[in-house]
Amino acid sequence: MISIQETGTGWRSAGSVVARRLLLDRQAEFWMGELDPVRSRAEIRARVVAVVEETEDTKTFVLRPNAAWQGHRAGQYSSVEVEVDGVRVRRCYSISSPPGEALVSITVKRVPGGRVSTWLHKHTRSGDILRLGTAAGDFVLPAATPTKLLLLSGGSGITPVMSMLRDLAARDAIHDVVFVHHARSRANVIFGEELSELAARHAGLRLVLCLDDEPSAPRGFEEARFANLVPDFAKRSTFLCGPGPFMDRAERLWENVGASALLERESFAPTTAPARMVSSVEGVRVRLARSDRAVAAKGQGTLLEQLERAGERPAHGCRIGICHSCKCRKQTGTVQNVVTGEVSSEPDQEIQLCISVPRSDLELDL
Amino acid sequence: MTTQSKSLTREEADAFGRELDALRQEVIADLGKRDLEHIRQIIRTANRSEAAGRLLLHFGFGPLSFVLGTSALGLSKILENMEIGHNIMHGQYDWTRDPALDSLRYDWDNVCTGDDWRHSHNYEHHTFTNILGKDRDIGYGFLRVAPEQPWRPVHLTQPVVAALLALFFQWGVGAHDLRVDELFAGKQTPAELAKRARPFATKAAWQLFKDYAFFPALALINAPRVALGNLLANGTRNLWTYAVIFCGHFPEGVRVYTEDETADESRGQWYVRQLNGSANIEGSRWLHVLTGHLSHQIEHHMFPDLPAARYPEMAPRVREICARYGQGYNTGSFARQLSSVIGRIARLSLPGPKKTAKATRVVPEEAATPLTYRAAA
Repeated sequence: MISIQETGTGWRSAGSVVARRLLLDRQAEFWMGELDPVRSRAEIRARVVAVVEETEDTKTFVLRPNAAWQGHRAGQYSSVEVEVDGVRVRRCYSISSPPGEALVSITVKRVPGGRVSTWLHKHTRSGDILRLGTAAGDFVLPAATPTKLLLLSGGSGITPVMSMLRDLAARDAIHDVVFVHHARSRANVIFGEELSELAARHAGLRLVLCLDDEPSAPRGFEEARFANLVPDFAKRSTFLCGPGPFMDRAERLWENVGASALLERESFAPTTAPARMVSSVEGVRVRLARSDRAVAAKGQGTLLEQLERAGERPAHGCRIGICHSCKCRKQTGTVQNVVTGEVSSEPDQEIQLCISVPRSDLELDL
Repeated sequence: MTTQSKSLTREEADAFGRELDALRQEVIADLGKRDLEHIRQIIRTANRSEAAGRLLLHFGFGPLSFVLGTSALGLSKILENMEIGHNIMHGQYDWTRDPALDSLRYDWDNVCTGDDWRHSHNYEHHTFTNILGKDRDIGYGFLRVAPEQPWRPVHLTQPVVAALLALFFQWGVGAHDLRVDELFAGKQTPAELAKRARPFATKAAWQLFKDYAFFPALALINAPRVALGNLLANGTRNLWTYAVIFCGHFPEGVRVYTEDETADESRGQWYVRQLNGSANIEGSRWLHVLTGHLSHQIEHHMFPDLPAARYPEMAPRVREICARYGQGYNTGSFARQLSSVIGRIARLSLPGPKKTAKATRVVPEEAATPLTYRAAA
């Protein structure tokens, strides 16, 4: 027997096939966007309703997403896409607001040379539209809140743990939480005021700020000071997020005391450093993600030639870069365009196989 | 204007190509918000025009609203097929990474499937432009548009055949990649043809359903009026695109190439062939937009994946480079180019003039850099 829900899904998917075949889906999307730019059936869009200056280099963007947004769990991140000079560029940001609210906040630190963060800081205003991805990430509070919690952060790494703390506060579930945050100075503490207020209101919250500019204080994470401040850290369920070296150093401490099982670390890190470029193609490994195969480059040649030499048959046409038939998504790695000399290192970029040579190990959506 | 192009040595052609590559790079570096806003504005115009056309056809009465409605619908179809669909499917907006402007995902309001078009047009026609035996767009296999094509008695009918093709142009375009001629030549079995034709048949059926059943049914009592309006709008689009496309490659002065001539062509020589195999139409900004900027066929063939709205500003530079290399630049008014094409189709329906493609130039082996790029070491 077919359930009502299945029948509903069946009709809906049949309807969407008909709409696509009659080219009505494209028109529906267009008119929806004309009436209200935040509405869409194809994308998660969000309207910026407020921009809050948190510190000199950090802003919070308060967003009202459309109906396609399915919510998030405290600690998760979402991709945020903007049009920079006509080109869509995407970065992942942790969500700093608690789950279950109509408004969603991302808190963005301006990274020198960062295209998206700079664009957001310079150009994004109230009323603008951003595109989001589905919330993702395993760095989340477990369903059953641990009795003893430690939230440990550094710099802009405060954002996911702030979402957790706000979530706990909203559920009145702050029983025994230590919040240790590292920053350059008091002025650089993101959410400083709100943290003080929460600490004043909740007896179960102990707030510890480690500031680099305090007299004779160590810079960043330092084991002795930390163990002194939180002597029972190894017994607490801990959520750690901050700059890479900061997290590495903290993680070693947990390893040394044999408490790694209680430590959760935000593994998402923005990939800013391009893969190291190789000058010779020989030996470069090309992984074909969709077909789950790998190819090792032999001799010289474009990616198309390399793949064909290895027995692969990727779609292609002109072989001179004009027809775009061999376009495919490069998930990771660096390639160079042999016509323009342009180097592409960013993840998830479209490349043309027939005019690209590999310059590092690669992963292709093939 | 059809001055004869000077024959270039490989070195000259390569220098010519380097100048065009530099121009190409200059435009790529400048692509940005302006280009995105242009195509979105055209999409907006096309959608509004379609909505206006449909409202007038569906809810209007009398001849005035019928003429206006049909015109608005025809205009939207022309914009969608030419400036929007054709150009997006060329990859002209792939750099924006907007999925709505993605070359491989876009499908146009035409019975030709996007995939067939990408293969027969973007790849075959744009790579092997005007090479006899390789570019199936030279007369589409049944018209004699160049004296180098051998005359056959069937060509006597071509003035009539060409006129019929104009009326049903989208069907000609849609069936082009099926290679029906190969069935008669024994290069394709009926089973292969049937398999190849399936996506086209499916899309054509949906298109017929859309234009002559779905939209008329929505109009209830006005159904016949809507069906007729759709037919006329499609027909207008057919005549217009036919005229524009024929003016791009078949006027007097455009030349064809042999396979031998182009066997080990360099990138520079490829540019020379694109130039000598294409012709431009002069006109206003709106003429260019309505042709999808195929009025700049020369620039389009040199830079098929650059946003077409850039061609008008590139054209004077291209023309200047061509002049310095002694290359003709075939351009003229719409009336001039169209009458040239009509005259040529009529004249070539009869045998002669005697003309065989030029003898192959011999190129020293070591000078050859084949068209397929070799990666720098």
